[in-house]
Amino acid sequence: MEDGKKNMALAVCSGCSIGASLDVGKLLDSAVEANQGLVCMEHRALCSEAGLTGLNTLLKEKGVDRLALAACSPRVKSKEFQLDGIHVERINLREQVAWVMEPEHEDTQLCAEDQTRMVLAKLEAIRENIPYIPESISSEILVVGGGIAGLTSALEGARAGYRVHLVEQSGHLGGYGGRIYKLLPDCESDATLKEPDIHLLVKELEKLPGVEIYLDTRVQSISGEPGNFQISLDKNGSSELHVGAIVTATGWKPYNTEKLEPMGYGSERVKTLEEFELFVQEEPIPDRILFVLCAGSRDEKHLAYCSSYCCSAALKQALYVRELNPRAEVYIIYRDIRTTGFQEEFYKMVQADDAIFMTKGIIDTVTDRGDGMELVISQSLLDEHVILKSDMVVLATGMVPNTTTDLQLQYRLGKGLPEIEYDFSDSHFICFPYETRRTGIYAAGTVRAPMDMEMSREDGAGAMMKAIQAIECVKRGEAVHPRAGDLTWPELYMERCTDCKRCTEECPFGSYDETEKGTPLPNPARCRRCGICVGSCPERVIGFADFNINSVSAMIKAVSMPDEFEEKPRILVFVCENDAYPALDAAGIHHLSYSPYVRIIPVRCLGSINKVWISDALSHGYDGILQIGCKPGDDYQCHFIHGSELTEQRGENLQETLETMMLEPERIQTKFVEITEHHEIQEMINDYVEEMELIGPNPFKSL
Amino acid sequence: MDFPTLIIGGGISGITAALELAEAGQQVVLIEKENYLGGNVGQFNNYFPKLCPPACGLEINYRRIRSNPLITYYTGANLKSISGSEGDYSAKIDLEPRLINNNCTSCGKCAEVCPEERPKKLGRSPGEKAAYINNGLAFPMKYCIDPEVCTREACGKCLEVCDYSAIQLDASSAEVGILAGKIIVATGWNLYDAAKIENFRYSEEADVVTNQEFERMLANCTREHKKLTRPSDGKVPSRIAFIQCVGSRDQNHLPYCSAVCCSASLKHALTLETEYPGTISEIFYIDLRLSGRNETLLKKIEEKEGIILTKGKVGRILPSEGEEGIVLELEDISRARKRKDVFDLVVLAMGLCPAPVAARLELNEYGFCLPVQPSGMIPTACSKRPMDVSSSVKDATASALKAMQK
Amino acid sequence: MSEIADIQPDLAFKRELSQLSGSQLNQCMQCGNCSAVCSLAPADRPFPRKEMIWSGWGLKNRLIGNVDVWLCHQCGDCSSFCPRDVKPADVISGVRQLSYRHYARPRFLGKLLSEVMWLPLAIAIPVAVIIAILSLAGTFRIPEGPVDYSAFFPHGLLNGTFSAITLFFYLLASLGIGRFWRDMKRQTPPGEAGMRRLPVFRILGEILSHSNFSNCGSRKAGRFSHMLLFFGFALLIVVTLYAIWATVTHNYPLPLSNPFKILGNLASLMIYCGLGIMIWQRLFNKSVFGKSGYSDWLLLVAIGLLTLSGTLVQLARFGDWSLAYHLYFFHLVAVWFVIMYLPFTKLGHIFYRTTAMLYARSIGRK
Repeated sequence: MEDGKKNMALAVCSGCSIGASLDVGKLLDSAVEANQGLVCMEHRALCSEAGLTGLNTLLKEKGVDRLALAACSPRVKSKEFQLDGIHVERINLREQVAWVMEPEHEDTQLCAEDQTRMVLAKLEAIRENIPYIPESISSEILVVGGGIAGLTSALEGARAGYRVHLVEQSGHLGGYGGRIYKLLPDCESDATLKEPDIHLLVKELEKLPGVEIYLDTRVQSISGEPGNFQISLDKNGSSELHVGAIVTATGWKPYNTEKLEPMGYGSERVKTLEEFELFVQEEPIPDRILFVLCAGSRDEKHLAYCSSYCCSAALKQALYVRELNPRAEVYIIYRDIRTTGFQEEFYKMVQADDAIFMTKGIIDTVTDRGDGMELVISQSLLDEHVILKSDMVVLATGMVPNTTTDLQLQYRLGKGLPEIEYDFSDSHFICFPYETRRTGIYAAGTVRAPMDMEMSREDGAGAMMKAIQAIECVKRGEAVHPRAGDLTWPELYMERCTDCKRCTEECPFGSYDETEKGTPLPNPARCRRCGICVGSCPERVIGFADFNINSVSAMIKAVSMPDEFEEKPRILVFVCENDAYPALDAAGIHHLSYSPYVRIIPVRCLGSINKVWISDALSHGYDGILQIGCKPGDDYQCHFIHGSELTEQRGENLQETLETMMLEPERIQTKFVEITEHHEIQEMINDYVEEMELIGPNPFKSL
Repeated sequence: MDFPTLIIGGGISGITAALELAEAGQQVVLIEKENYLGGNVGQFNNYFPKLCPPACGLEINYRRIRSNPLITYYTGANLKSISGSEGDYSAKIDLEPRLINNNCTSCGKCAEVCPEERPKKLGRSPGEKAAYINNGLAFPMKYCIDPEVCTREACGKCLEVCDYSAIQLDASSAEVGILAGKIIVATGWNLYDAAKIENFRYSEEADVVTNQEFERMLANCTREHKKLTRPSDGKVPSRIAFIQCVGSRDQNHLPYCSAVCCSASLKHALTLETEYPGTISEIFYIDLRLSGRNETLLKKIEEKEGIILTKGKVGRILPSEGEEGIVLELEDISRARKRKDVFDLVVLAMGLCPAPVAARLELNEYGFCLPVQPSGMIPTACSKRPMDVSSSVKDATASALKAMQK
Repeated sequence: MSEIADIQPDLAFKRELSQLSGSQLNQCMQCGNCSAVCSLAPADRPFPRKEMIWSGWGLKNRLIGNVDVWLCHQCGDCSSFCPRDVKPADVISGVRQLSYRHYARPRFLGKLLSEVMWLPLAIAIPVAVIIAILSLAGTFRIPEGPVDYSAFFPHGLLNGTFSAITLFFYLLASLGIGRFWRDMKRQTPPGEAGMRRLPVFRILGEILSHSNFSNCGSRKAGRFSHMLLFFGFALLIVVTLYAIWATVTHNYPLPLSNPFKILGNLASLMIYCGLGIMIWQRLFNKSVFGKSGYSDWLLLVAIGLLTLSGTLVQLARFGDWSLAYHLYFFHLVAVWFVIMYLPFTKLGHIFYRTTAMLYARSIGRK
């Protein structure tokens, strides 16, 4: 598709009630009127074999390279309407017009004609796109952290044929997993604890070609973008690496033991889980050991979350005690025993030893009496208040993730990965646990979420898969999840840039760095193509080939504006493509009717809406502007992290615009919807139109 | 020549494995026995701990599938057999008769005129016809006709209204052979049969439902914008009991723990609290098993008066005998008191069992796949052990990497 | 109990109980299912869940002297539905067996009757006493002619000695019962309502009607068989008392047509049926009936032999069997064994359970 020569066509399908609802002939006429030389076509079933053949023939004949296809939603029939060498834009006349508006009604007709003209305007404004591929791409992968997650990650990556660099800050590989006495048994095997296997992993790793291991090494700096990261290591002075993606598996540290003093920590007789793990390997075991589970976990005053591994780890240590001192008795005080899945068998296995006593209970006090420990426990299953004595107390403490600032990312937005609650460097999405906010850099293991060794192994492999995928996508110039496959990328017209750096600060993924002069420096391979930068820029400097200031402005202005006496308001609705657009489609599929006065513009994210479109719309005479997107807040759904949130914040600034134009603040509203809320979105639209009708027409309409 | 990776199962795990592989440049064939992708969670109302709809993530995945030429998928596809070995598998797939073909535009006219109803299943859209679609956001977006319910040419009403030659009432099943280099088994889970539990009157009482049924009831309500009602009399329930570990952690049934049911019940309670204020939900548990950051569910619940957590496994459900509801009997352990209580609706948190697979796989004593298979096939997610969605996706991603290894 | 209890776990006691009951009681996960399905558990502090965790910690002082342990009628519902298969019913039964031993006075008798290795000695004692009495009476020669038990056995001396020893043992046992009562009071104090008058008649009613048995789900047959045994045994006691009276008034032996003789045979029949059902269930329905230990079999076999020998003694008299007097001797030993040792065998439940039920009802427990 070239910028200069544009041969556009419009194909309209009259199937699926579209033909019954609209006068297709008139539609075509109005389209041609706005676009001289437009090639047109109509068919009663465009997706059928006959329809497609007719379409293809016509397009070839006329040498068309840009096609506007008015039919069903772009969410359906995508394979059928994917035409080689032709840029296709869909006009949703079925789900968003014929199925929701009154058939054979003037307003429905006007809506369809406007939506058609809007897309034609966009089609014309779209620029040619040359995918962005970094100049030099590496397929090598850096793994930071040589614990079980990092080791597994490196191993699995190497097995898949990729060169891996594994960096470990200490002098040996294995992390905490390398210091354990024994492992939990496999669920299927016999009921004994297993010998640790980290050394086997390390051996295997060392044998594989294409694996470089750097011990006693830290990362000094990371810069660049996916496919093209420059790594500086502090090893023998300095070492430079060129990699395509990064896995960080820097693990966890134990909970701050100072905070455990109320639980008796500080006494020689009180140990944490990791201290006890070493203790059993070095010292003789006393005769009575008491384990306190959830010590400092699941507690607002300490760690509010559950560390997942501690129940089974403590039970395992109970078995150590019994193995190493057959005379010993073990008491376990718990809140809940969280041996989920097949670990239930392990729980039973531990209970098969009758010298292990367990009860639910809450620890009130822990006192070192000199010759032993004394604990007062309340709400126990034995009785309301009990005293238990033992020689040693082991506190099953939780894990605290390490920060990822040791990645030393030379990113304007910070050295590490953004953290979510409780300082874990994790994705907020259940369906997408590796949805990183720094493209090409993936967290694995306990630095990402609390987990045990078995889960850490799988996590290392998963993160490595994403790292490999990132590299392969970059090689093709494609974006990664969620806009996977998108070949467009943000292009900047730097002449107008005023260095305000709103793009830099608002980018959820840290795509923009800063030059020495303070100018934004884009790193397109880091970009997830959300378009928030398009929306943030007051100078309108940024745009994508198929989504930019001009293309959307053209859509806005393509709507024909009736004067205020016709009492036909025009409402512009920006709809985000993730949750809101499908919800709108679902409203259509359920035949929920809404106002024909709305004009829909899908956007990549609410955050991509630029202020100029709002002022364009208001000057053009729209009576109201509704922005519908994914839910923000603590449980945000926005896949671009804070697009919806930004819209709310920018809404305040927009109020100023409205005031200067002497317009009511209600004329711009932002609403949030979930993908399943097709009834709610219908209500939102209808209520809003009603509100605008009450406020009255935009006074700028007639100007 | 490198053969594609075959993925058996089009639920969230199979879809994830397919996408991760395809976006890394690998050819993938995905087969799913139902007529739509999405599997079990595609029918769910929401996920824990965020209470967000599965449709959101699935929609993104469907978009990725639509735009990726490296993914071929078959729905209504049953695996018949697998032969060969790693690098060179040969799979035989049975495709169900496609009474509606790919010409379908999902205009919905066939369903409007279809006279046959699919057998009632709790959670299925009431009055679902033989010609049906999964839900508004189904993938693939086309209607299907249930060949077991349709009377075919004897009726033919749909043929009269279909403008797109999409209906072929004489369609028959077909066989497809697929050559694959690697196979990922993502067959997921089925729920343990609640009728097997004596003492809980699942077969006798309409208002005793399983957790999966309850999930679908809620999903139906969301979709149709209706209130939740009791199956027996259509009233809105105001006291709902969630009984954990029914037939799980139980030597007489499933000895293992299914890991997700505690979180699921807490999620249900929170959902009810938000959407049906005034409802009382009581959860009866042995151990409250959440993990990691899912602990936040508990934090949210602590402030809610309408949600009660009670330690004590419900021992039995007694015949109602005049009571307007379901009678439970349990020991309320923290108060050391026996209770007989009446609830409007009772949800049994049943455990997860592996779905059967027509392939030679090594299974553990519970019927789940061992993680390492001699045949080289790669079991993933719930085919190995019960796990939640996040862990399933993680596992499927890891499996994708294993499929890329020689 | 609001004071703080100092918990001293007793591994030895726990192991003893575990072995005796045949239960992996440590695997209890405190789910509460057992208390939930138990139809006899009171609403306030039900059993047997708490007994299971106390067993798990070997807390002897909460189990021996625990009233709830005796409210249990061993129906086995808890064991049937236990998800961990730790057989709470057998554990509770084990506690009862340990209780017999614990409260037995003299202690050596408790030991004597709890282990199979002491059985020969246990049998030897009544044998020795009876032989001594026979020698004392000087009638150590089996008489000629038709069988006449009175000719060989000095009933007056025998009955007198038997009654004296039995009374003596029962008096000693009542000391144990007294301690039992005090232990129950300590573990489960009366509470604010205080103690009511002992509801003797109500308890009698419960016992006679076997109402507690009917509440249990799994073991419906248990009610029927126990009723047979209970009433059969009671009838036999009545008949025996009449027979003793008959010896005194010289109307002994009784003809077959005598109503008491008929009753006696009827009672034997009931006992045979009851025992038959019990033994069959214990052998072939173990999943419901749980573990049968030494004390269970000892009692069943002893009662069985007692009844059988009684029937045979009767037949021997009518048939003039040569072994008649030997059979009678055997019968005497069996009777002395069962009745004398009553407080120290499982038959002691007549005292203990009744006492526990009396205590429970008097403090308003269920």
